[in-house]
Amino acid sequence: MIIDTTPQDALQKKEIWAIGGGKGGIGKSLITGNIGIHLAHLKKKVLLVDADLGGANLHTTLGIGVPDVTLSDFLNRRIENIQDVIIKTAIPNLSLISGAQDFLDSANPNFAHKTQLLRHLETLEADYILMDLGAGTSLNILDFFLFSDYGILVVLPEPTAIENAYRFIKSAFYRRFKRVVTNQGIKDMIDAAMDQKNSMGIRTPYDLIERVKQMEKEVGEILELEMMQFKPKLIVNQVRTKNDIQIGFAMKSACQKYFGFDLEYLGYVEYDDCVWQSIRSKRPLAVEYPYSRSSRCIERIVNNLLRKEQLLFNMLY
Amino acid sequence: MLKKIKNLNFYELLEISPTATKQEIHKAYERIRRVYEPNSIALYSLFTQEEIAAIHQRIEEAYRTLVYEDNRKRYDAVLRDRNCLDKDNPPASPHLKSQPRFVQAAFSLPSENRYLDKPEPTLQLSQQQTASKPPQEKNTPVSNLVTEFTGPTIKILREQRGLTIRNIADTTKISSRYLEYIETENFKKLPALTYLRGFLTNYAKALGCEPERMVGDYMKRYDAALPKKTDSN
Repeated sequence: MIIDTTPQDALQKKEIWAIGGGKGGIGKSLITGNIGIHLAHLKKKVLLVDADLGGANLHTTLGIGVPDVTLSDFLNRRIENIQDVIIKTAIPNLSLISGAQDFLDSANPNFAHKTQLLRHLETLEADYILMDLGAGTSLNILDFFLFSDYGILVVLPEPTAIENAYRFIKSAFYRRFKRVVTNQGIKDMIDAAMDQKNSMGIRTPYDLIERVKQMEKEVGEILELEMMQFKPKLIVNQVRTKNDIQIGFAMKSACQKYFGFDLEYLGYVEYDDCVWQSIRSKRPLAVEYPYSRSSRCIERIVNNLLRKEQLLFNMLY
Repeated sequence: MLKKIKNLNFYELLEISPTATKQEIHKAYERIRRVYEPNSIALYSLFTQEEIAAIHQRIEEAYRTLVYEDNRKRYDAVLRDRNCLDKDNPPASPHLKSQPRFVQAAFSLPSENRYLDKPEPTLQLSQQQTASKPPQEKNTPVSNLVTEFTGPTIKILREQRGLTIRNIADTTKISSRYLEYIETENFKKLPALTYLRGFLTNYAKALGCEPERMVGDYMKRYDAALPKKTDSN
C-alpha cells in the first residue's frame, strides 16, 4: 500500500506489546493470538511474534501447522531478511513470525542478536507487533519485555501464578536498574538484592534504593524515577468468581505499596469451556466462538489497550 | 520519592483523597481491608504474615481516625499544620517534618508522585475517642457460643466475617434475594424444601459453620412457622 515508508515513519506509528507473566500455562499464547485477531478485525495491521524461543506454540493457537520458516532461521542467519520469515495467516491483516522449533542453541541469542532482532522488527510494516514471551525469568524474556512499548503480564487467580508474576516484575526492573547504572559496586548490590535472603537486609525495592542513595544519591534518585516510570499492565485470566476479578485490584494496590509503581489493570478473561474446545479443535477462539464470554473479555481488553484505559474498581458495581 | 507503607498517611494508606466523604472512606476501608487480609493471595510471596498483620492494624487505625469527624479533624489539622510549616519555615519539631500530598485513589488514573520519605506521626487519640470504636471491631468468635441458628444469628455471623449478602451470593451462586429471605426468616417466600436445604448447606459452608447444625436448626424454625406445608418431592 505505502511503498516509501521510511523507518522513521514506521517507528512513529508502531507499537510493540510484549505479553509475559513468569509462569507457564497461564494463557499467554492464547491471549496474544486472540488480541491479535481482534486487532486485525479492527483493520489494524498486526504482526505476532512468537518470542518463546524454547517452547513456541503461538502458531497452534492460530490453527497453523508447524511452519517451514521460523525465527530461528533468522537468528541463525539461514535467512537474511526478516521479511522472509513472516507467515501470512488466513485472517486478513494478521501475520506471524513463528518461534524457534529447534533446540538449545537458538534459545539463547546474545544481547547483540536480540537488539538486532528488535531493530529489524521496527522496520516492518505493521501497526502493532505483539510478542508472545515464554515462561520463566530468563534474560531473553526480561529484555524483550523491557524493550517493548507496553509490557503486559498475565496471571491466574492462583498463588503459584501470582508468586511467579511478582518474581517476574522484580527481575524485570532489577534488570532495568542494572542497565541504567554504570557503577560496578551498585550493580553488584542489585545482583545481591535479587536474592531474597541477602545478608544486607534488602527486602524491598525501597530498601535497595535507600541503600543506593547512601552510596550515590543521584543514582538512587534515577532508580527511583525508573521505578515510577515502570508501568506494566495486568490481565487476570481464568476468573471464576467476582473475588477472582478483585485480585487484579488487590495486586494493583500491593504493587503500589510494595514496589511503588502503578500496575494498570487492563481486564480479565472469564474461565470458559470454549477456550479448551477451541484449542482442541486447533481453531482460534475469536474465530470459532466469537460471541463466547471469554472472547468478549479479550475484546474488552483490546478496547482498553487501544484507548489506553484500564479497568476501574467502580466499573464492577 | 518512594515511601514505605508504615510512612504513608492515612489517606494514602486507604487510597483516597483528603476530601473523601464518609461513605468513600467506608468503601475504601472495606476494599483495602480485604486486600490486606491474612490469606489474600494477591499478596502471596510479597509480604510476610507479620507485615500483613502490621498493615492490617494500620488500616484499622486509619479507618477509626478518619471515620469519626472529631478524630479526622484533629488528624487533618496535624497534616495541615505540617504543610504550612514546610512552606513557610523550617520544621520546628522532628515530628512535623513531612508534607502531606494529595493522593488519588489507586483505581483512578495514574497518580503523580505521592511519595514522601519522612515518617508520619501517629495521632494520640484521647481515651474517650478510642472508646468509640465502630461495631466491626467487636470480632469475638460467637460461632461456638451460638445455641441456635436463626435468620438473625446467621446475619450476625455473616457481618462478623465482614461479608455482604453480595459476597455470599458470589461465592455460593445463591440469589441475594433468597439469602435475604433466609436472614429475615421470610419463610413463605423461600423455595421448596430441597432447594432450601441446599442453600442453607452452601451458606453454612461459606460462613465456615457446621452445615448439619445450621440446616437442622433452621429447618426446625421453618417447620414451626409453616407446619402444614409439605415438601413437593
